[in-house]
Amino acid sequence: MVQRIFRIRKIGEDDVKILKKRIDIALAIIISLIALLIARLWFLQIHQGAEYSKLSESNRIRERFIAAPRGNVLDRKNKLLITNRPQFNVAWIQEDTPNPDQVIKNVAQILKVDISDLYERIRKGSDRPRYMSIRLKEDIDWKSLVYIENHHLDLPGIRIEVLPARDYLYGNLASHLIGYLAEINKEELSDHKWENYQIGDRIGKMGVEKLFEKELRGEKGQRFVEVDVLGFEQKHIKTQKPLPGNDIYLTLDIDMQLTAEEAMADKAGSVVAMDVKTGKVLVLVSSPPLRIKEFVGGIPAAIWKEMLNNPLHPLINKSIQGQYPPGSTYKIVTALAALSEQVITPETIFYCTGSLRFGNRRYGCWKRAGHGAANLHKALAESCDVYFYHVSQRLGVDTLARYANNLGLGLKTSINLEHEKGGLVPTSSWKLRRFKEPWQEGETLSIAIGQGFDLATPLQICQMTAAITNGGVLYRPQYIETIKSPEGVPLKSFTPIVDRKMPVSKGALARIKKALVSAVNDKHGTGGKAKLKTITVGGKTGTAQVVRLSQHKDLKEDEIPYKYRDHAWFTCFAPAEDPEIAVTVLVEHGGHGGSAAAPVAKKVLTRYFNIQEEDTESIDY
Amino acid sequence: MFQFDRRLVLNFDWALLIIVLIIAGTGLANLYSATYLGSVPGTPVYIKQFYYYVLACFLALAIISVDYRQLLSFNYPLYCFSILLLIIVLFFGTGAEIQRWINLGFFRLQPSEPAKLVMVITLASYYYRKDTNKGFSLKELIPPAFLTGIPFLLIVKQPDLGTALMFGFIFISMTLFVKLRWSTLGVLLGFCGSMIPLGWKFFLKPYQRQRILTLFNPENDPLGSGYHIIQSKIAVGSGLKFGKGYLKGTQGHLDFLPERHTDFAFSVWAEEWGFAGSLFLLACYFFFLFLGLNIALSARDKFGALLAFGIVSLIFWQTFINLAMVLGLLPVVGMPLPMFSYGGSSLITTLAGVAILFNIRMRRYMAPTSSPHLWSD
Repeated sequence: MVQRIFRIRKIGEDDVKILKKRIDIALAIIISLIALLIARLWFLQIHQGAEYSKLSESNRIRERFIAAPRGNVLDRKNKLLITNRPQFNVAWIQEDTPNPDQVIKNVAQILKVDISDLYERIRKGSDRPRYMSIRLKEDIDWKSLVYIENHHLDLPGIRIEVLPARDYLYGNLASHLIGYLAEINKEELSDHKWENYQIGDRIGKMGVEKLFEKELRGEKGQRFVEVDVLGFEQKHIKTQKPLPGNDIYLTLDIDMQLTAEEAMADKAGSVVAMDVKTGKVLVLVSSPPLRIKEFVGGIPAAIWKEMLNNPLHPLINKSIQGQYPPGSTYKIVTALAALSEQVITPETIFYCTGSLRFGNRRYGCWKRAGHGAANLHKALAESCDVYFYHVSQRLGVDTLARYANNLGLGLKTSINLEHEKGGLVPTSSWKLRRFKEPWQEGETLSIAIGQGFDLATPLQICQMTAAITNGGVLYRPQYIETIKSPEGVPLKSFTPIVDRKMPVSKGALARIKKALVSAVNDKHGTGGKAKLKTITVGGKTGTAQVVRLSQHKDLKEDEIPYKYRDHAWFTCFAPAEDPEIAVTVLVEHGGHGGSAAAPVAKKVLTRYFNIQEEDTESIDY
Repeated sequence: MFQFDRRLVLNFDWALLIIVLIIAGTGLANLYSATYLGSVPGTPVYIKQFYYYVLACFLALAIISVDYRQLLSFNYPLYCFSILLLIIVLFFGTGAEIQRWINLGFFRLQPSEPAKLVMVITLASYYYRKDTNKGFSLKELIPPAFLTGIPFLLIVKQPDLGTALMFGFIFISMTLFVKLRWSTLGVLLGFCGSMIPLGWKFFLKPYQRQRILTLFNPENDPLGSGYHIIQSKIAVGSGLKFGKGYLKGTQGHLDFLPERHTDFAFSVWAEEWGFAGSLFLLACYFFFLFLGLNIALSARDKFGALLAFGIVSLIFWQTFINLAMVLGLLPVVGMPLPMFSYGGSSLITTLAGVAILFNIRMRRYMAPTSSPHLWSD
């Protein structure tokens, strides 16, 4: 390093001369360019100064965004479910306020809110430019609105902003499917996925609102306005209209959904109805519903906590996230497996004495007196447990699991919704993996009647029911009928997706269907409460034990603590001659499927076929 | 390692220091005016800028204390490091679509700023080493053109065309400053002439073309890309002879320009201080550049002269392009006004360059033998 510096030549006399010449040229260039700038300054400030002064006095153009109305949500009959309404918000532009503290104090008084709430919002918005507005309060009432508009001269910088807000025409109807909106947060804003969004924008955070955000959102418009020194708008210059979002037509039937939600109003659980020939979801209820509106402004911690701890679990979409033992509805799987594997014939008879001894344990039938001699038809119609205990020994757990999988159990249905659960269909290898224990033969008995490890979501059971009636085709459940542009041009349309076709004989399916019709229509059938006068319904009840507690054995249903009561299932289809619709009802801790769930299904069917039916009191077991 | 030499102080350029302090002072005062209404929590912009000045002063002291000729011994590692930063910013940079910054936690570094100064040092070193008095041939210009091309392309990729073009300006200025053969000059001129229409067609993005077209007729598109130009002209023009007064500029405090504390800082100044204030500031910049060229002329060796000239040209082009843009003479590109606009990377880089100028000036009479280190050789 030292050596190199030593070798640096001092500049020579000749070099200095050349250097001088070049630097003179550079200086000349600098002087002439600076002279150009000065000339320009003179031109702007002296020559045209008066004109620009006038412009600066009056011409202050501001660019304001106009929020685009979100797309509407409609049902399959074009009934409007969600639309938009104008919402009036109070916003504050700091830059236009010479005396912020006084103005904020006045606003707090007018709006009757705590001033610290306003300062909190200002603090949160403090990192945005001063000419951008900070929202102080959403959705103010008419009186405050009129007051602020009349006193706007005393409230410099305070603006009323009109935004389209969601108008839920049916309240919380189908809330778990629709989802909710909330203000975009900082993390999302910094994500490039949301790069066209701004602070204060609302985005879908769940369900349809989230999954179809792109379709629903539309495009913001812009308004250019001139403002005076205090920021008041003087005149519009140009408006670029916002483009509304696309409309989403659901496959849902609002009337049926309403009926189902009303029927479930005092219960926790789920109702799913599906078009058996396409997989279109007609009803998707999870009760109790979400209170959608409470999410918009950010949900208060107390309400959130209450929702989390609520024993009715309102936050869970029970149709796709609730996993319950399928109970006797699972006998459909066992029956199909037994017929297909030919381990029994339809005429095979087992004798039910009310229980079966297996190993050193007694496996009971729900009917303690026993069903007597039963063939498959009677066993399904009257839901005889002992019959299926016998059948399951001939099948084995793994064969049973294969048929369950073929009917969509144990696998997600792939409905386009978040956090779907897949339920559970146990196999011997699964148990070895999970518990490091071999499969016990006795466990197969429980599996055969949908107890034990078996878990399924209501949507899965509905899909299964549909598959039984449509010849073994597993259609993927879908809830979008069409997406149309605001002008009504269809952009996307529904096409059925077949996820699986079962290799089963038509005969086996026909027999099961017939038995299920008997379950609803025969004198001793368990699903009598879903019977319709004019339409033939077929269905299966299910009662899923939550816990097996001997101290509850002899208690009546309403004497058992709520959380220990059985889950009630009912799954059905109609009309039996040429099934169109499958309906599945689950009532959490509802007790018996026949008494708690079947009446709900009946109401949905009545609405679907648009017939008048009275609540028929049929045989209660 | 540094032994105090009285001549270092005797040759200190006090005039340059005073000019720099004046520009810095007016710049800070102007920043205060441009942003004081933003009484929001967090450190105000002018305070942050002041911190950057303090930081830059320490850096400047460090630079002054080491003989500038030492740069010759590590100019290439410096260059490589600077390129590395430019590559890093492309992969890990912050910013949604435009990746210009590396987030260091306490400071967002914009590597393209120091890269400009490193470019000057690199070119000065190269030209100094290859200087033969016969003038440079075209072949000898290939390596420096290559050295300039790498950061140029990396910055175009960010994309930041304005900053990238600065590399072109530095290269052209410094290359013309060293001796070229006439034939070389002719070929270069022809090449550049033919590149302009090609570049327009293939190189510029549509929005960049739009900005250039807008320049010639901003009123055609008053709310699109002409918006900045019109509003800036209104701010400057309405300043009249003596301005609206400090902190009284209305145009600057309304929302006409999001960059009023950075690239458009001068329009705030011109609005509040008028033609007189603008002339004053221009005069300061002129004296600064004049003193800088003087340092180049009086350098003890050719390396010093090249380096000083390069730094002067770097600051001059940035100043000119920024002012021409603010006054509506050039399209809007991201280009801060050195020492005046807010921005840590730009400020620290500029002051590092100024420190090198002081350094060259202080050591103008320093013979090789004057440094105690060099006795030993």
